Amino acid sequence: MTTEELDPLIHVPTRLKIVATLAALHDGDTLSFTRLQDMLGLTPGNLIIQLRKLEEAGYLSSEKTRNGSAQKTTVALTSQGRKALGVYTQALRGLLDGL
Amino acid sequence: MKPAPDTTSTAGGSTFDARQAAALLDQTTQQTRRRLEPAQPWLLVIRGVLVLAAFGAVWLNVRGQHPYRYPTAAVTPFVITFGILNLVATVTVARRATAGVVGRSRLRRAEIAVLAAIWVGVFAVMGVLIAAGASDAIVYGWYPVTVPLILSGLAWAGIMAARADWRACGTGLAVAVVGTVGAFAGPAGAWAVTGVGLCATLLGSAAVIVWWQRRSVVRS
Repeated sequence: MTTEELDPLIHVPTRLKIVATLAALHDGDTLSFTRLQDMLGLTPGNLIIQLRKLEEAGYLSSEKTRNGSAQKTTVALTSQGRKALGVYTQALRGLLDGL
Repeated sequence: MKPAPDTTSTAGGSTFDARQAAALLDQTTQQTRRRLEPAQPWLLVIRGVLVLAAFGAVWLNVRGQHPYRYPTAAVTPFVITFGILNLVATVTVARRATAGVVGRSRLRRAEIAVLAAIWVGVFAVMGVLIAAGASDAIVYGWYPVTVPLILSGLAWAGIMAARADWRACGTGLAVAVVGTVGAFAGPAGAWAVTGVGLCATLLGSAAVIVWWQRRSVVRS
């Protein structure tokens, strides 16, 4: 196996950090956009772009709630996203064992 | 606003290889576990030392009493202050760590109500015991040291088992065991046994959390 065979959606530093952060949450928990942004140190624009790509692939879900004039966005890894990270981690292990 | 490039390149421009990916995955996971942990290990260690000091002070205060009466006014404010500080620090740190997290890992109102009802109920029963003329050894020794630990430990273990949070469930069971063992140590000895037991439980929890936070997701 080579690095090229790793899931290209996850095998990008920024997206790997997003997926790893959300995977550390308990199953059934969601994280607010602002906390995720604070934890990763990304600009809102960058984060939105990467989240959209992961959401389009079905790896994460987002929910927007409105409380008065304030809008709150929360994100979570889907079961498909968790599975994809599991496969990616397993592949990484295989690659490292082969080094 | 300049979006992040969709490439497998690192900031330095080199290719993002498997070793770098594994390091980044581990680093991010460990960092997230540390930041989102409601029971911060450093706080557990401080609580462990303080509970030993508070319960130890009461034990030193009552161990010479024959028959057992109650902790004197010299030591009671110390224990109450510890209890209040413990609660405030625990809630504040947990709220800060879990800010922005919504879902199962947060306690539901019904669960908070169950835990609060246990504590209120325990002291209500204590009032009933006083009114019924129960001995000082029971009312001011055996009962307030052991029963709250047994009931709240079991309730916490039950709530955490329902969430499949086995680490927190184990902590609850350990607290209940400490209370049960304390019940066999007599009214004065219960303070010493539960103080040592709670300190050991808190230090053990801190050690388990640190081990879990540092565990590699790639090399496990």
